[in-house]
This record gives sequence, C-alpha cells and structure tokens, in this order.
Amino acid sequence: MKTNTLGYKLKQYLIFAGLTTVIFCSVVIIPFIYGLYLTFTSWNGVSRNKPFVGMENYVNAFSDGGYWTSLGRTFIYSAIAVVLVNAVAFIIAYMVTSGIKGQNFFRAGFFVPNLIGGIVLGYVWKFVFNKALVELMGYISDGRAKSLLATESGAIAALIIVSVWQYAGYMMLIYVAGFMSVSEDVIEAAKIDGCTGRQSIIHISIPLMTASFVQCLFLTITRCFMVYDVNLSLTNGDPYGSSALAAMHVYNQAFVNKNYGTGQAEALILFVICAVIGGIQVYVGKKGEVQA
Amino acid sequence: MRRKIVSLVVGAAMALSMVACGTQGSEESAVQNSGEQVADSGNGGGAAISILNSKTEIQTQFEDMAKEYEEKTGVHVEVYNADTDTTVASQIATKYASHDPYTLSMVDPKDIYAVANEYAYDLSNEDWAKKTKLGITVDGKVVGFPFCVEARGILYNADAIEKITGEAFDPTSVAKLEDFQKLLDKLVQGGMEKPVGILSEYWSLGAHWFPMVYEEQQDPDAFVKSLLDGSGSLAENEKFNSLMDSFDTLIKYNYAKGSASNADREETSMMLAEGQIAFMFGGNWDWSVINQYDYTEHLGMMPVPQNTADTSNFKIVGGATKYFFVDSSSDTSDEQRQAALDFLNWLVNDADGNAFLTEKCALVPAFENIKADKLDPFSLSVKTYADAGNMIPTYNYLPDDHMTVVGQEIMQKYLDESMDRAALADAVTEYFKSATPIEH
Repeated sequence: MKTNTLGYKLKQYLIFAGLTTVIFCSVVIIPFIYGLYLTFTSWNGVSRNKPFVGMENYVNAFSDGGYWTSLGRTFIYSAIAVVLVNAVAFIIAYMVTSGIKGQNFFRAGFFVPNLIGGIVLGYVWKFVFNKALVELMGYISDGRAKSLLATESGAIAALIIVSVWQYAGYMMLIYVAGFMSVSEDVIEAAKIDGCTGRQSIIHISIPLMTASFVQCLFLTITRCFMVYDVNLSLTNGDPYGSSALAAMHVYNQAFVNKNYGTGQAEALILFVICAVIGGIQVYVGKKGEVQA
Repeated sequence: MRRKIVSLVVGAAMALSMVACGTQGSEESAVQNSGEQVADSGNGGGAAISILNSKTEIQTQFEDMAKEYEEKTGVHVEVYNADTDTTVASQIATKYASHDPYTLSMVDPKDIYAVANEYAYDLSNEDWAKKTKLGITVDGKVVGFPFCVEARGILYNADAIEKITGEAFDPTSVAKLEDFQKLLDKLVQGGMEKPVGILSEYWSLGAHWFPMVYEEQQDPDAFVKSLLDGSGSLAENEKFNSLMDSFDTLIKYNYAKGSASNADREETSMMLAEGQIAFMFGGNWDWSVINQYDYTEHLGMMPVPQNTADTSNFKIVGGATKYFFVDSSSDTSDEQRQAALDFLNWLVNDADGNAFLTEKCALVPAFENIKADKLDPFSLSVKTYADAGNMIPTYNYLPDDHMTVVGQEIMQKYLDESMDRAALADAVTEYFKSATPIEH
C-alpha cells in the first residue's frame, strides 16, 4: 500500500485528527473569524442588523484614552506580577524538592489556591483586605486604618498580591518537574568538581530547566494580560476606575457602554499585543535552551 | 510545504462542512418546530413559554409561581434567572442569535428602546395598557409592560433617631437642609458619632444619585441635550449646586469617611437596619439586603433634604424600573405569544397575579387597580409618595457609559473628597462633550 498518496494522507489525518480539527474550528477558528468580522460593524450587541462601518471601530479604539490607560496599567501589573509569581514559585519549588520534612504536604498546600476560582478568590481577599487587615492595622496604629483597596496604587498592589498567591502554586508544580528532570549525576559531578549549592543551582540546574522557565513565563504573561475574574470580584475598577485592567475595560466598553464593535476591536488589539509578547518570549526562551 | 497545503485544505474542508451542517441543522429544526406547533395547536392549550427574570432576588418566588401557574392554566412557564456576570442585553442577544428567544424578557427601560423595533410585540391593544401611565411607547406602540415601580431617596431608621431625640420623627420636618443638618448634629451629640451611610458602588453614585441633577430640572431632556451639545453649564446650575450641597452634608457625617469610596454595601445596610446609622441614600430595592439583618421596626424612605423652593425636597425620584417585552420574532409561535399576553394580563387583573407581585415579590405595582398594603416599609413609602403624585419621573436616556464614567471615575473621587465642586462640574461637563447620546 502506498503511503505517500494524498488520499492516504487525508485518510490518516481524518482518522487521527479529524474530530479535533472539527472541534478546534468550531470553538476557536470560526468564532475568531466571526469576531474579526464584528469589529467592522457597529452592532449594539442585541440587534439583528450589523451595519458595516469599515475601520471606524479601530479609529475609536485608538482614540479611546481610557483603553490605553488601562493597557498601560496592565503592562505594569503584568511586569511586576510575572516577576513575583516566577520568583516565588521557583523558591518554593526549590524548597519542596530539597528534601525537607513533609514536602508533599507543602506541595499540595501551595497548589490549593489555584484550585479556587478567581471570582471566589477575589471575594475572599476582599474580605481580608477590607476587614481583617484593617482591623489588624487598627489595633497596631490605634485608629481607623485605610484599606489597601481604597487607594489607587494600593488596589493594583492588592491585585498583584492575589495573583501571586493564585499562580505561584501552579507555576511551582512546573518548576518542581523541572528540578526533578535535572539528573542527579550532573549535580553529583558538579559537587565533585567543587561546586557550592548555590553555584550548582545557578550554573547547572537553572540552565537545564530553561524549558520550565519558558513555559511558566508564557503562562503567567498571557494569564496576567487577560486577567478579568479577580479584577472583577476584588476591585471592580474601584477606586475611581483606577484598577480596571485591559480586559475589564474591553468588557465594559462592549457590554456596559454597549459599544460592541469598539469593544471587540479593543479585544483584538489586546490579543495581538499578547500574542506578539508571548511569541517573542517563547522564541527567545527556546533559543536559550541547553541540553545536558 | 506540501504537508502544510494538505493540512490547510483539510482544515478548510472541515470548516465548510461545518457551515453546511449548520444551515442544514437549522432548517431541520425549523421544520421540527413548525411540526411541534401544529401538534400543540392540535391538542389545545399546554403551551410552553420562557421568561427571563432580571430581578434575580425574586427568582425563587418566580419559580414557585411558575408551578402554580401551570397547575391552574396548563401553560408551562420556564423561568430563567439572569446571569449576574453578564448584562441582560448580552444574554438576550445570545438567545436571539441561537433562534431560541425568551417569550417574555424582563429588561431595563433603556433596553426596551434597543430591542423595540426588531423584537418587541405591539401591546397597545392590551387591556392593562389603559391602567398605567408607565408603559413604554415606541413609535406610537406600547411595547414595554411596567413590572414594578422603584424609587430613590434617603432611607431612614426612625427607631434609631427617636431613641436619641426622644420625639417622633417626621420626615417633612427635615425637608430643608438646615433642619436636616440640625438633626444630624443632635444625633452626633446624642452619641451616634456618624449618622450617615453612602453606598460607594458606581451604580449608586452614577445611576442613582447624580441623575437626580437632571431629573429635577424643569425639562430634563432639554438640559441633558444642552450638556451634550456643550451649551449647558453645570457649575452654575441651581439644582446641581443644591443637590451637591446636600451630598456634602451626607459626606460630612458619613461613617466611612476616610475610606468612603471603599464602603461595603452589606456593612452599610446592616448598620442602617440595626440603627447604628440613621440615614442612607438608596432605594426600596435595598430592602432585600436590609431584611437579611436584624432590622428595627420603623424604617422608611424620604426625599433628599435640599435648600430649594421648587418642592423637589418633598418628592422622591422614581418610576418603573423593570419592563417585560413580548418577543415578536417568528421563533415564537402565535400560541406562545398569546400565552405570554395572558400571563401579563394575569399579573394585572387576577387576584393571584396581584398577590404574586405585591405580596410574594413585595414589589410596588405600576397599575392603578392593584392594591398593595402589605409591602415592606420602603415600598410603602414609595407607594405613599407615588399615590400622592409626589414622584419625579426617572430619566432613561442618559448615555450608556454615564454610570461608569460619572459614577466611578468622577463621583467616587468627590465622595473621597479628592475632588472639589468646580472640578466635579468641569469633569462632568467635559464627559458630556464626548458622550454618545441615546436616540429616543
């Protein structure tokens, strides 16, 4: 039987990837193309008519000051959160692989926040910031302390803290896998050559774990750029709309302000930015990977 | 390279077949639908209608009613609760996109105007249309059925006040701002350190408080239009200053002063219910939160105290806030539509329907013929003011982003005292210059 004919290949493809292709097309590709089409209309979100307006939505999106402010805010939030998430995740991953007592318990414990949905997490932390911490600070400073969520920079800081708490456990798992994949032989060889513990991490483990870093950075960057649930339940943009991140602005633009087309165009711009940053990061990271 | 082309071709073929399947499927289901309709009308009765309930706090009552309604009339009523994580408009849009619209949708007044021309059935000839002044009319046709009346004002806890002053509380005695201020001072001296609560949510500030500035004008529509075209001025406007004077007083006595923009709705409501504070700006819908707590007996709603001679300080602001529209599209059968019309009629003209509205759901009815004397204290206040003609109508044509921009970005700052009156007037005036007007 010939295995290089088009018919054979098509059959093979359909057998192994046919169903996935259909599902992928129907839940990703077609909605994406339809969404792209909506950016060229002035649809109000309800009507049957979708008047074609050309590039107007993109012009509106580019002149929407609030959008760019929220995007800038998202950059700052993401930059800090990505660094902190990965630093914290790496450190706890190191600790729970170094053979301390009850390390499996700690692994599970650190992972749990990731199992709680973002909305619930937001409400839980809202209580912590608004009630528990305020009460605590009240005892210490002897008066009514201000909640972190009541100040503009405080609200962003709170978002970062919650994101770190939420994602660090998940990223920790990937780093743990990375640490485990570094062969004992290499570490032992380094020890025999006189490496200190720290040197062997920096010069042996980390280079061999580049794949984990690439993965974790990609996941955290994309998640931070697209964050909505925690933003909604923790701050909802308060105070003064100063903590509304890009995804929230897009949602409000489309569904609260009923500018569906403009919101959709803004969402597309956010997607492109996200894809470009993610792509560059993966490309650069892959180049840095080494083999033992 | 060839492999890539092959996979692209396959992908395209898949997509095409999907589309083909899609159209085929919908045709089939259309055929099936009409078949069902024939069968339905054949055996008479037994229609099924769907209702979108966007007053989520009465979902349980709605579901109970649906069961009883089916037992009595044979009409199956499916009640859907509006998602709280998305807007009602987008939820309706999804159903229309999938050709499965709700027979009856409960929406905000503004949504009615968005859907009227395409989806809303003409209700002008319904018997109830003559019994209310609050129906929504678009292009000469009644399309919105007013489900309930809600109003805003200052909620008060009379027990808390009387405990300190020792005399019966009469809301009309504090209609003037100076008198209100004197009472507040008295409460402070009597031991209630901060007698006022202000909700910091942007919908409360941007959709409930600030719109009073327009609603209490001689001609609200003309005033908003003048702001939109840039000719109107807010800074010198009498109503704006009078209402903001009152707001300043509320700020001064706000229990959450210092972190006012972060006040918690639950906490504020609880404090009013238990009498830790005496006043809170809100509406009769706040009852659903307040009755969760250990509330004292004598609560009520009064107009916002103001230094004004236009009698608006003796009136509350309100109107019908939720409307039903009946789907007019071909996805709803005539029989379903008739069942929907019967249901609306039942709400207005049947004793059980009235009881559902006023007793089970504790709503203020929008119809003259419906009696309602078992309402909660706030709704009773609303009914008293409404019956006496002391209700200023709500203005439903504010730009869509008014609530978020004016409520969150501007009024929250003012509430936090990090913006003064002149800057507030400037910011709102500036906002209107770039706002998109609502056609009406």
